Amino acid sequence: MSFSTFVTDKTGLQKLYEAIISKHETYAPVEKFGKYDYKKVSSLKECDPDSPIAMTMSVKPLFFPRASKIMKYEANSSGTTIMETDEDPLAGKRVVLGVKHCDARGLQVLDAVNKWDYIDSDFLKRRANTVIFSTRCDKADTHCFCTSLDYDLEKLDALDVAVVNGSDGKIYLQARTGKGDIFLKENSDQSTMYDVQNTMDDVRSTKYEEDMKKQYIAFTGSFRLKMDYKDVNEKMAKRFDSPAFEEASRNCVSCNTCAFICPTCHCFKISDEKIKDTGVRYKSYDSCNNVYFTLEAGGHNPRPAKFRRWRQRSMHKFVYYKERFGVNLCVGCGHCAISCPVNISIFDVVNHVANSPASS
Amino acid sequence: MDYSKQIQDIAAKLFADGKIDVFVGYRMNSFDDNQIPVVITDPKEVAELVFTEKSVFNLTNYLKADHTRNKRVGLVVKGCDSRSLNLLLTESQVKREKLYIIGIACEGVVDDKGQKMQNCVECIVPDAVVFDEMLGTPKGIRDYIVNADIIELAGKGLVERREYFEQIFENCIRCNACRHSCPLCYCAKCCIDQETATIYNGSNTSSSAFHALMTWSLHLAGRCVDCRNCEKACPSHLPLHLLHKQNEKVIYDNFQNHLAGVEEGDRGAFYKYSLKDPDDFIL
Ligand code: SF4
Ligand code: SF4
Ligand code: SF4
Ligand code: SF4
Repeated sequence: MSFSTFVTDKTGLQKLYEAIISKHETYAPVEKFGKYDYKKVSSLKECDPDSPIAMTMSVKPLFFPRASKIMKYEANSSGTTIMETDEDPLAGKRVVLGVKHCDARGLQVLDAVNKWDYIDSDFLKRRANTVIFSTRCDKADTHCFCTSLDYDLEKLDALDVAVVNGSDGKIYLQARTGKGDIFLKENSDQSTMYDVQNTMDDVRSTKYEEDMKKQYIAFTGSFRLKMDYKDVNEKMAKRFDSPAFEEASRNCVSCNTCAFICPTCHCFKISDEKIKDTGVRYKSYDSCNNVYFTLEAGGHNPRPAKFRRWRQRSMHKFVYYKERFGVNLCVGCGHCAISCPVNISIFDVVNHVANSPASS
Repeated sequence: MDYSKQIQDIAAKLFADGKIDVFVGYRMNSFDDNQIPVVITDPKEVAELVFTEKSVFNLTNYLKADHTRNKRVGLVVKGCDSRSLNLLLTESQVKREKLYIIGIACEGVVDDKGQKMQNCVECIVPDAVVFDEMLGTPKGIRDYIVNADIIELAGKGLVERREYFEQIFENCIRCNACRHSCPLCYCAKCCIDQETATIYNGSNTSSSAFHALMTWSLHLAGRCVDCRNCEKACPSHLPLHLLHKQNEKVIYDNFQNHLAGVEEGDRGAFYKYSLKDPDDFIL
């Protein structure tokens, strides 16, 4: 099925964004201390949908919050009462601007686990109710390797509307899902778009397609990091006992950062905030690189050493998740390498392990 | 400031003489001209070692458990790093005889953009205060200065100051990179991580961030050496020095110009009690 492609320019796109912000609940990257995080915005001035990838936090918390209330309770000598939490502030219809392609793919990867044995209805509701606008990058950053992974960036449908910068100031808005198509048609008019293609088979469409292809080729040519993910998947599966894990993780400080900023990590912990008899139970991020992650109640810790934790992290991303759900649990965004206090990069770790001798 | 060659030679000799099991230093990262810490166990790797004004990370962080504990360690320390090492020695976290310390008479380090780090601009003790061998020409103790942001912060009323910190901590994601990067945060189980505690409940809410960061800063008051490992580590780029530097200034002004870790054996302002201690300030 092909969806519409709209053509506009910078001014038109800004007008469209402004119209969206005024009509819909909209989230976009907002800068603070040089870092961008997705926040609710009331004007385009507050945010930057073109925020640099290396400086932008993942959009994941809008779907899987850093901390979410899962229930309230009252517990005293006469028993325990469980209550619903307040309404989910993220469940309404909303639009997110300025999502990066890799980050959108992260959400798609997470759909699999959220639809698995336990259905996370909150996550899925937020997904269904959100329209994602995502600009295709023009140039890869130092740690990007999205084009080396198991998804097609050119036709990515993890987002609803792709924004592609064409030549001569042209900007293409391409609907990639039915939801995106309807949204674009409802929200754009003559003042924001100067050409609308509802069918992809006439002369102009071919010209536009070619222009977008040109952008795509220039973009894919700008990558420093390249790898063959199939090779990494296969080799890692045979290297559980590789000493390379220890070598690659020796200077890790075992914080939680790489997992907390990752678009695909989804481990969480449960904790209570309790005052006297009433409390709130929270679901918050957790990380397998944290020494307490596997600490058992009796005091035993099956992953006391750093390399065991790093092995779990990289094997989960490139072996286990792939085996179970058919996709890698890494989208090549490079956020982990950027944010790690000692710049450990998952790309380096998995390639180092894959290139080490296989275990017997 | 380039001591790469000297450090490679010293490390090679230490390994050859069987004096150390590991060496903690810096090496170039694989993607730009910045450096990362490296923990070397194989003498063949000493050729990778470098030391320049890009050697930012405070390596004494690697003296904590799980990194180098119970091993004989060679490491490089700048002025601020040596002060945290002094505290680790005083607080019985490392044994002096297990260490071979290369001290640097530091000329200041630069951030990723090549700009001199603010703590280096304000640095009071640039020369390593504990070492087996010193590289560079000692500069001596400098005057105590603080940046305009601390003066501005000190001028704020209590309510205003709380609001100021609340809006900063709003962007904290509770990843704890700050704590794990701090050489002086070595508690086997931080109070913030106790599952049974109800105020630091481990949930990543902004109220737990506020509690956690405030508690953290108080545990470091009088111990923080202003190396800014924490601030460099924060993925949200929070100006964490505001907490620590403000505490440092209050302590400097109220406790006879006390600075953490400068003197060997000094347990820090908050670990000594005297009836004459001033009590008319709030951190
Ligand atoms: S592991 Fe790193 S590169 Fe992969 S998705 Fe997570 S943050 Fe991005
Ligand atoms: S962010 Fe870096 S130091 Fe922290 S746990 Fe991850 S790899 Fe280790
Ligand atoms: S609190 Fe920050 S600046 Fe102070 S010693 Fe720890 S890492 Fe260094
Ligand atoms: S490193 Fe920054 S974001 Fe992480 S816990 Fe510390 S202050 Fe918060």
